[in-house]
Amino acid sequence: MWTRKAAFTFTGGIALVLIGMMISNQQMMILGLTLIAFIVVNSWISGHGDVEVQRTLSADNLYKGDDLYVELLVTNRSNRKTQMLDIYDNIPHEMKLRSGLNQMQLNLKPGESARIRYVLRCPLRGHYSIGPVSLRARNTFNLGVEEMYVDHHSDIVIFPQIKDIEEAFLRSRTPKMYTGATTLRTPGQGSEFYSLREYVPGDPFKNINWKAFARTGDLMVNEKCRDAVTDLYLILDSRDLARIGTVLKNPLEMGTVSAASLAAFFLKRRDSVALAIYDEKLAYLPPDTGDKQYFKILSALAGVRPKGTMPLQAVTNSLSGRFSRGSPVFIISSCEGDGTVPAAVRDLVGRGHEVTVLSPSSVDFERLVSRIPRMSYEVLKLERQNRLTTLAGSGAQVIDWMPDMDLSQALMQVRGY
Amino acid sequence: MSWESSRVIRMLGLPANFNARRVALQASFWAVMLILLSTILLNFINISATDQLSAYDDDWNDMSAFREDIKSMGIETRSLVSSPLLLADIEDPRNTTYVLAGVERDTLSLPQFDDDGFITIASGNGYSPSEINAIVEFVEAGGTAMVFEDYGYANTIAEAFGIRYTGEQVFDTTYATELDYNYIWMCIQNNPCGMNGTQLDPSTLSSHERWAQVGGPGEHPCSKLDEQTFGPGEAMLCEQHMINGRVDYNGTYQVLLNNITGLEIIPGVRGPLSEVAIRALTSNEATVDVNGDGEIWVGNEITPETPDRWGQFNLSIEVCARASCSPSDGGRIMFVSDGSALINAMYDYEGFNEGKYGPTDKMMPANDNRKWALDFIAEALMSELIDEVGEPAENAMVIFDESRHPQSALAADSYNTVYFLLVYFTGEGLAMLLLFLILFITFEAVLIKKRDPEPWRHVFSIIYYGFGDANRYAYYSKVEKIRQVFLSKVRNQNGLNREEFQAMQANELVSMISDPVLSKFAVESSNKYTLEQTVALVKRIKAWGRQ
Repeated sequence: MWTRKAAFTFTGGIALVLIGMMISNQQMMILGLTLIAFIVVNSWISGHGDVEVQRTLSADNLYKGDDLYVELLVTNRSNRKTQMLDIYDNIPHEMKLRSGLNQMQLNLKPGESARIRYVLRCPLRGHYSIGPVSLRARNTFNLGVEEMYVDHHSDIVIFPQIKDIEEAFLRSRTPKMYTGATTLRTPGQGSEFYSLREYVPGDPFKNINWKAFARTGDLMVNEKCRDAVTDLYLILDSRDLARIGTVLKNPLEMGTVSAASLAAFFLKRRDSVALAIYDEKLAYLPPDTGDKQYFKILSALAGVRPKGTMPLQAVTNSLSGRFSRGSPVFIISSCEGDGTVPAAVRDLVGRGHEVTVLSPSSVDFERLVSRIPRMSYEVLKLERQNRLTTLAGSGAQVIDWMPDMDLSQALMQVRGY
Repeated sequence: MSWESSRVIRMLGLPANFNARRVALQASFWAVMLILLSTILLNFINISATDQLSAYDDDWNDMSAFREDIKSMGIETRSLVSSPLLLADIEDPRNTTYVLAGVERDTLSLPQFDDDGFITIASGNGYSPSEINAIVEFVEAGGTAMVFEDYGYANTIAEAFGIRYTGEQVFDTTYATELDYNYIWMCIQNNPCGMNGTQLDPSTLSSHERWAQVGGPGEHPCSKLDEQTFGPGEAMLCEQHMINGRVDYNGTYQVLLNNITGLEIIPGVRGPLSEVAIRALTSNEATVDVNGDGEIWVGNEITPETPDRWGQFNLSIEVCARASCSPSDGGRIMFVSDGSALINAMYDYEGFNEGKYGPTDKMMPANDNRKWALDFIAEALMSELIDEVGEPAENAMVIFDESRHPQSALAADSYNTVYFLLVYFTGEGLAMLLLFLILFITFEAVLIKKRDPEPWRHVFSIIYYGFGDANRYAYYSKVEKIRQVFLSKVRNQNGLNREEFQAMQANELVSMISDPVLSKFAVESSNKYTLEQTVALVKRIKAWGRQ
């Protein structure tokens, strides 16, 4: 393809020849012919994009906010010089170039190689693909350009961020009853003795072992074994309404972060964690423990997209029979646009589950992108307050999660209702 | 950098924008364009199986011998395949002779400015007004032109000089009896020549009116070399008069013509050149087949029974700037009523009879066609310097107009047509304007449409996304909705379900609210509240229940 310069040169050449003929000016015609000849000769001398490309990534899976190191090795395998060759590694626009450049202009001799290194920051969870590699070969005077690409893709998964959360607000009060329950030989809340340790400020007085104190003169406390493995059920609302707000701050994003953090926390405690995601359909990951389950949950959360309008009661009706009795259930939803939420919560509570509703405040997320009139905002907040009060009245622990509030801070208010 | 994992894939470059459907679409488009263009061009391109009268072909009906003779005299010859518009670019018209033999096809009908400055489209006239102007200007500038024509399209040129080709075949008693009545003798002299039996009567032969006047203003330059001796090839422009190593100038010319027509001086029309001289005539007994039926029926008057004409007709007319018709005094143009007067068969009759131009069973009689034509060239192009008598002038050039001869090959005819268009667009005023416009538009198009590939740049763009539902805001500011929200709050605060709440009496609700303003708002069905009142109510509802 000709560049603008070439098109101008050629048109100018033609114009000079014709005008030269009009006014019988041979010098002008010769100049015009020279320009045309220059274009013609130059078109014979073109670059090429016959190169090999290798891309190396620092990781295939990352957490949201992590950095990805990319290295691109370009080798000229032909026996000609590439001339002016532009290389551009196509990266998703959701990724931020933190350092280095994903492009370079090269002139490689036969067999010569060059490396392009750059670092990407991944601020959004999801499944992404880096590539293809675009090539733009120019000839010597930049009169012709040919574009090609190397169809080479590298897939990466960006998991939701994991936040530290406080154990105290998440402990299950009900021991696991079904077969296979194990007693963990780790210190924690329980009935069996685990070990003695020195007293640290904040330990309850009732745990002080007075006999040991009398014997040694030092304050010692009894540590107990954790006497149950908890089955934790996470229900994540991924309906279309969950995208209210910005791309980085919306109920779904915060929901995925909280679900990932809760799952990480409980799996680390060797508890079983199940995940249900509902949008236009229900996706359910049965409870399990271990790193494999952790990876499954994170992968599922990475791919969540807001869509559909499935009611929560349809989810609980479908799954409640499969929930372990008395297990804690986390419902992560803005509770907006779904009139079945109180009934669903009431049903779960009635089945003996400890239900916690973690509700990102969609009204406040909406305020980040839309200018809500003050009075409408107050009425919307009042209505939301009513909704959460109704849920609290149904026996659930309700957390009103504001956009600027940290997850652990939000979980602290679990008994606020 | 710690590499947790890596993957390596090797692939080679592929065309980035290869799209088979797009390519097919473009190919179809250009194919249709080509068909349309070919259809249009075929209307203009006239491929003929009989290309003739060309100075660059050596068939019996071409004029290669004439051109070869001119070249051998040291005069440059050129062909004009596009348009006589190029005559405007001749630097030295005085020493240039333009030869036009047979205008066999019409010009392309293209718009142009006429003499009055209006736009006109030339049609059916052989040459466009601009081309005729170019020829006239060439002659006015001192150029010499020879027009050989009979039934073709040269009339527009003749009319520009006050002459007209009748276009009707002329028969005369002075014909070459060894051939047939189509071959007419034209004697270049004042009075017509006559026949004595089967031969021209020598007593009727005379000499050229102007050239043979020794010492006169129109004396032929070769007469100045009369009786001088020269070596082979040294006589240059007077070589045609060489006999036994000596110039023997003879001003008598019996020119053989074939299938001739007549020439008329248009009454009352004054061309750009003032002097019009008739150089050759038919006999008094010549006839014209007016209705073209191949039979001659003549009488004292033209009637349906005697539709044809008889009498004396002009065969050659010379139009000059001055009475002397000397090239030094200005331009001139010679009209001859036969397009084939200089074809190889008659011009080089000896070669033709020897079979040089292909086998023949017809023997051409001896004639003075060559002598007359070369004398005309010699007069036009001989150097005027005293020490160069007999030699061509420095810039002497003969231009053969080949632009109106159909070609037998598509490529040759297409080339001529394209060349014609090129000359038209660079020589014709209107076309030049059009060309300027096209060039301007092309430059603009290149400027606007032609874009260099955008420089690659990674754009991080997620911050611009957002989603909200602004349609509901108005609904949430309505009094009815505010009342509904407030009543829900009252019900929730008091731990009532919907049925219990709806079963309550109004006084119970009022006592439950225990706020006169909100009680009134809850019980009343009126929605008539000002904005300030509504705002105050919302504030009150927000605060209600906290205590």
